[in-house]
Formats: sequence, C-alpha cells, structure tokens
Amino acid sequence: MGTLTQSLFGGSLLKLILNLLLPGALALVALPAWAQQAPPADLVLKNATVMTASHGTITHGSVWVHNGKIAGVGEQVSAPASAVVVDASGKWLTPGIIDPHSHSALDSDVNEATSPVTPSMMMIDAFDNRDKSLYQALAGGVTTELLLHGSANMIGGQAVVIKNKFGLPREAMIFPNAPRSIKFASGENPKRVYGSRNQLPSTRMGNFEVMRQSFENAKAYMASWDAYNAKVAKGDKAATAPKVDLKLEALADVLRGKLYVQIHCYRADEFLTEEAIAHEYGYKIRAFHHALEMYKVAGQIAPENTAIATFSDWWGYKDEAWDAIPWNAVMSMRQGVKVALKSDSNDHIRRLNSEAGKMVHYGGATEDEAIRMVTLNPAWIIGVDDKVGSIDVGKDADLVIWNADPLSTYARAEKVYIDGDLFFDNTMPGFGTPHFNGAMHDGGGFGSDDSNEEGN
Amino acid sequence: MKTFVRVASSLILSAAVGSAVCLAQAAKSGTVAITGGKLLTVSHGTIENGVLVIADGKIAAVGEAGKVAVPSGATIVDAHGLTVYPGLIDPDTTLGLTEVGSDENSNDLAEPSDEIMPHMHVADAFHAETELIPIARLNGITNAVVAPGTTDSVAGQDIFIQLAGKNRDAMILGRDVALAMNYGAEQRRRGGRGSGRGEFPSTRMGLITQLRQSLLDAQHYEAGKEAAAKKADKPDTKDGDKGGEKPTERDLKLEALLPYLHGQRPVVVGVTEGYDVESIMRVAQEFHLKVILNHVTHSQEVLDEIAAWKVPVIVGSIYDFPRANERFDAVFTLPAELAKRGVKIAISSADAGGPGGAHGVRNLPYAAGFAVAYGLPYDEALKAVTLNVAEMFGFGDKLGSLDVGKTANVVLANGDPLDVRTDVKQVYIEGVAQPMVSRQTSLRDEYAK
Repeated sequence: MGTLTQSLFGGSLLKLILNLLLPGALALVALPAWAQQAPPADLVLKNATVMTASHGTITHGSVWVHNGKIAGVGEQVSAPASAVVVDASGKWLTPGIIDPHSHSALDSDVNEATSPVTPSMMMIDAFDNRDKSLYQALAGGVTTELLLHGSANMIGGQAVVIKNKFGLPREAMIFPNAPRSIKFASGENPKRVYGSRNQLPSTRMGNFEVMRQSFENAKAYMASWDAYNAKVAKGDKAATAPKVDLKLEALADVLRGKLYVQIHCYRADEFLTEEAIAHEYGYKIRAFHHALEMYKVAGQIAPENTAIATFSDWWGYKDEAWDAIPWNAVMSMRQGVKVALKSDSNDHIRRLNSEAGKMVHYGGATEDEAIRMVTLNPAWIIGVDDKVGSIDVGKDADLVIWNADPLSTYARAEKVYIDGDLFFDNTMPGFGTPHFNGAMHDGGGFGSDDSNEEGN
Repeated sequence: MKTFVRVASSLILSAAVGSAVCLAQAAKSGTVAITGGKLLTVSHGTIENGVLVIADGKIAAVGEAGKVAVPSGATIVDAHGLTVYPGLIDPDTTLGLTEVGSDENSNDLAEPSDEIMPHMHVADAFHAETELIPIARLNGITNAVVAPGTTDSVAGQDIFIQLAGKNRDAMILGRDVALAMNYGAEQRRRGGRGSGRGEFPSTRMGLITQLRQSLLDAQHYEAGKEAAAKKADKPDTKDGDKGGEKPTERDLKLEALLPYLHGQRPVVVGVTEGYDVESIMRVAQEFHLKVILNHVTHSQEVLDEIAAWKVPVIVGSIYDFPRANERFDAVFTLPAELAKRGVKIAISSADAGGPGGAHGVRNLPYAAGFAVAYGLPYDEALKAVTLNVAEMFGFGDKLGSLDVGKTANVVLANGDPLDVRTDVKQVYIEGVAQPMVSRQTSLRDEYAK
C-alpha cells in the first residue's frame, strides 16, 4: 500500500488506479455479514508436536491464540483461564500450508490468450469463491494461495492472494494488504500458443523480444507522463494529460518495482536470460515457478535473491521438463536459493505436506527445512511472510492440527484454523466446514499450467 | 560397471549394505543372504530380524535369524536397520508406451481409429529402453502391467513386465495377459455433444451396442471356424456339401476376443461412474467375461454390488477428484471401503505424479500409503501393490511375496516402504542387484560436482 501512494498520479486518478489495479483494495470495503459465530477471543491448542517452521520443533508444545493472532508458543503459554482449550496430545501442529502457485477457483479463465502481453488482466475478476477445489485444498491444510494466471502469455496478468476461508463471501477471502504479484511466462507454452497461430512469438527468441518491446513501450509511456507532470508542476495549464493505458500502466508498475514478478520458467538458460532482462530494465524477479532446472545454475541465481516455487518430482510431461530431477529442490536450497514447493494442481494442492516429505527422501532435507518449503518460504514468495508462514507471536493464527507427522504419507489435516477461526474440522459430519453449508461449484479441470492446450 | 561400483561404494557410506565387492558379486546373481533386516513377507507377516537367501534368481529361504541356514559361500548383505520387502507391482501403467508426454512421436498409447481394437498388442509398442523404467525401479517397483491408453472401448491387450532385463523379450514376462476395456463418457468421442461429427457411436447406448455386437461377431466367427474345421475333416457328401474346404480367412480382430470370451484371461474394465459400472457389468456377465474393475472413482453407491459380483478392483487414481458437493475424502476412502466389503483390491500409480501418467510410477508406494491414511489396513495396502496384483494377472505363484520358490524381486529400504520419506537402498530383480542409477541420478551427480 505504502508504495502506491508514491504514484506518479494524484487525487482521483490515484483512486481510479487503486480500484482498478489493487485487489487488496476490495478487502477494505468488505463488511463481515458472515460472522455468524465469532471465534473465541482466546484459544489454546495444547500439548502437540509443534513444528514452528521458524524456530524448530517443540515436542510438547502449546500455542495460544488471541483475537486471531498468535499470542504465545512454547512448552507453556500464559493464556487466560477463560481460553478455549483444544487438547492436541499425540497430534502435530504446523502453520497453515501455503501454495504459491495455484489456478484453483478460476473456472477456465486463467489465460487471456488473445495477446502475449496482457498485464492488466486481474485474476480477482475470475475468482469463484465457491469452487470445490478450494474446499478440497482446505481439507489438505492449505490456508493461503497465490492464484496465478496461466502461462500462455509472456506477461499474463495480476494475481490474487487469498486466505482459504471457505464459505465466506469473496471479499472476505482476499488476503488483506498482500503485495501485488504479476505472472510472466517463458519457454514452450507461449511459443506454442502463438506459434500455432503463426503469430509472434513462436520461438524463445520471439518470446523474449516480445518482453523487451513491452518494457520499451512502458518506458515511453512513463516518459510521456513524466513530461506531462513536469509541465503541470511548472504551472502549464494548457498541458494535456496522456491517456491512461491499463496495459502500459501495469508494465510501468513492474518497472516502478510495485509488482512482485513471478515467472513460469523451466530451463537453466532461461533463468539467466530472465535475470539479464530484469537487470536491463531495473526490476527484481521474486520467484521462478516450476524452475525444474534450477539445480544447474543455482549458484548463479542465489545472489539475485530470486526464490523458486517448484514441484517435488514432476517430470517428463514436456521437453522442457525432461531434465527435471527430484533432487532439484534440495540441491538448489543447499546453494542458497530459497525454495518453496507448489501445487500448480487442484490435486497436489491437497497433499503439499507429503510432497514436502519427499524432500527428506530426495536430498536429505531436515524436517524443518521440508516444512518450511510449504509454509514460510512460499509466504516469502507471495510477500506475506511477515503475517503468515510460521508459528511466531504476532502472526496470523493460521494453524493445522494433523493426526500424524505432516511430512509422512499418513497425515490427515484434522483441524484447520485461519485467523484463529475454525474453517475445517475432520470430525464434523458432512463437509467438515463450520462456515460452509451450501452448494459448491465445479470449475473443472486439473488446474495445472500444462493440463490444457492453452498452457495455463 | 564403473558407475555401478561407485554406486555400490556410496551405499556402504550411506546405509552400510554389504560392501562394494559383495554387491558386485551379487550382480552376477550368485547366492546372496540378506541378514538382519525387517522382512515384510506380505504372505506370512513380518519378521523383525530375518534372513532371506537368494539362489539362482529365486528366493531359496526366508525366516528368522538363527532359524535359516546361511549357505557357505553366500554373499552376505547386512540389512540391519533396513526393511526388506517384495518388489512392488503396478497394475496399471503406460511404461514403454510414452517418453516425453507432449512429444507425439514418443507416444504409442492408443489407436483411436475405432473403439473396438482388441488386436492391438502392447507388446508391439513396448520400448524396453525407456528412461522411465530405471526411474521407477529406483523406488522399488520391479514389475508392472502395461496397458494402452483409455481412448477406446476395447483398447488392446496388456503385457506384464519386469523392470529389468537385457532386452524387450527378457522384460516381458507375459504377452496379452489381459484385455483393456473402458466404458464411459470419454469413449463417447464421435459426434454428439455438439461436436458436429455425427458418427456412430456417439452415446453410451451406442458404445454398449457396438461392444455387444463385436462380442457376438466374435462368437459367430468362432462358430464358423469350428464348423469349417469339422468339414475340413470330412469327405464331400453327395448332396453337394463340400468337405475339405479351407477354413475361412482369419479375422485378427475377432480372434483376439476369443480367449476373453472363454474366460481364459481377465478383462480390465476402466469405468468411473456407478451407473456405468452397472451397465458394463451387465454386458460382461452376459458374455461370462472374467472382469477386473479399474478406477470405480465415483461408484461409492454400488460398492455392495461390486462386492457381490466377487470381482477384483484396481483403484487408481486414489487422487481423483470427488464430485462437487461430495466430502473431500470420498475417493481417498475407496480402497478402505472396498477392502471392508471383502473385495480384493490393487492400487495403481495412475495420476500419482503430475501430468503424464507413467512418469509417476515411482509414486506407487505413496498411493498405497495414502489409502492407509484413509482407513485401509496397512497389510492390505502392501498387498494391493504386490501379491494381489500378481494374483490378478496370473503371476501369484511367482511374484508378490517373500516366499521360497518365488522370483527374487526384493527391495531394501531405510524405512517403511509406503512412506514418502523412505529411501530405497537396493533393488534386486531375479536376484541381481540393480545399479541404483537412472538418467536423473546421472544429472544429479553431474551437477553436484
């Protein structure tokens, strides 16, 4: 939010831009008509194996939640006697699972595949908060998702960050004040989608040139506004404002550093090209998504402070996934790259915890490192690691109680709390959703970047 | 060999399994004694401190330490701290029919020109040198059924493979072991539903009619062949009936259906919806087909019927989505619900590894473990990826458990085989210690330098 007030524009124009471009702005007007039964002011989850994700595991630990925030964590917590106590003896407790790459709940509207550069497409406009995939993810312990565009376009559009408060109105599911992210893509998908129509781009050469040209256009657009603002500052009343161009405005925000850049990218050479273009135009890349060949160049990428959101073990479904190895995550991590696992799938989002468990097997991640790959590290990629992703005092009380070690094959999420409120309870009959009792929508599909011909 | 010694050496460092020399000897399939491990026999329980002797590629002895004689001269493999279990068997894969998912030239999955294609033999397309096989083998999968893709009502005939061998012929343990059938919305691909093609069959009614007619045609063809054969043995009669005439021309398509019409081999019927299960079972019963049901993803309402039919079921994928407005675990609990009703189940790796299918065969054990998380007893889960699969496809006397006389397909791992965190340390196939390498470990090692 802060950076936006430094916009080139002032007054009503700023408001217009805010409303058009900032999904978080919607949360500001959300009125919680939904809050039928308020969660307890004080809640203690007692005597669990607490995997904090930030400071190790407490074998007999408790977590005190006060007004939706974590107020205490440790072997003992000093909660008031009025606190509601949940005995979690013999259970595991983790932060909510965070998926930094989901296409859930977007029906089929993940690609505006009518042009390779569509940065002003807003994912929020396609978000269906009643989609069954949200519920199924919630039952897998997922509390936060970054809903991204597909990968048909080199620049797809702007993401939405949700808290998986299934059953609440759409606006109440938007993560408050989360940074804005924009999805870029590269490689096979854009060149296939446009190449098949005999349009630019049909090669990786074309892909990257389309990007460079877009940023040149954005620079010219910014210069025209600079010139106009300079005239206004000098008191030139005859100065006429350039038109507001949503597409160029979004690209300008990339160059202004106001958008987290999330790039769908598989091959080692393309990571290097993407970083070079980012340096050339002066923006930072927050994360490479998929990033299956990062193990080849992790030493070069680590100093860029670009993270990766990768699969545990997907491979071979396309040429650019041919050199994928399941040791990628741990090898990249050991070379200093921040690593998250992500689903890119309505299926795998339901079991990201055991996908993280595979990292113990493939490369010998510690349990601490593994759990971080699906909690704190994806929170960093989304830019909400100051609010969620670990069990630390002051953070949102997004918590999951598991019946077994969450990194094992055998773990089931038993209770899922978001902001201290219970949103899933495995022991409840029916759906197990205290806040949902209606009809779900079926957006259909696997919800993956590569599961439809458009290349999501 | 150089690679292999290096891998064997790393094994000593990481898991203390024997020595490089021992494993190199084992590679020649001599006599091997695996001692001190926890044996999951599948057929007769768990032996905490066991000995397993392999000779001539077969299991020669299995039992508690001290009660099993270790033959002199045997290579000793110290398996203390390791779990020893029979190689896993995947009942539904496309191994060897696909390489790169998106590359059509590397895919031989199904022949879509007609719905009835029983004369397609997977053995003709199986690419033994596929990179997918060593990758699956590293996680302890030693055998698999390879079936065609699901496009056709009758897709072709499966093979049963071993995931090691010097060439295709050595790896195919059984050709045409089962007929792959499918029924439901996916096969209804011609016309209808706004496609504008308007060809038969475009509905489920059309699919069933087409299938029933094909089975009748095959019966008629066989009757004609038998009649012609009888005549061929007889002299001409005076009323003009000529004996000695040649039998009718062979019809490979109809002929391919005959062993299945005789119930000699199983048909594997892929079907997801409960009402589709009922429709296809009516046809199967009418023709006395020996059915193995596959998928049954959305058949929760007919599980009692399935149990009453006494047909085995392959559950795959356990990760298929429930319908909207079903509880999240409606599919996760299928193996447990079937087993509870006494149904013999197998679990497949289908969809266990992202898009593509066969690339996820290595995740087979985790699909079984997931069934345990949702109520399937552990022993049943292990059986569902070993002995039950072997029995369903006619290899129950050779594979699927640690029993004397069976093929020595044996896996050593550092923990519970169904847990994602477990690392497989050594795989034996026909008693031969497999090099624990794949294209992926080569890439790993190249870039780890």
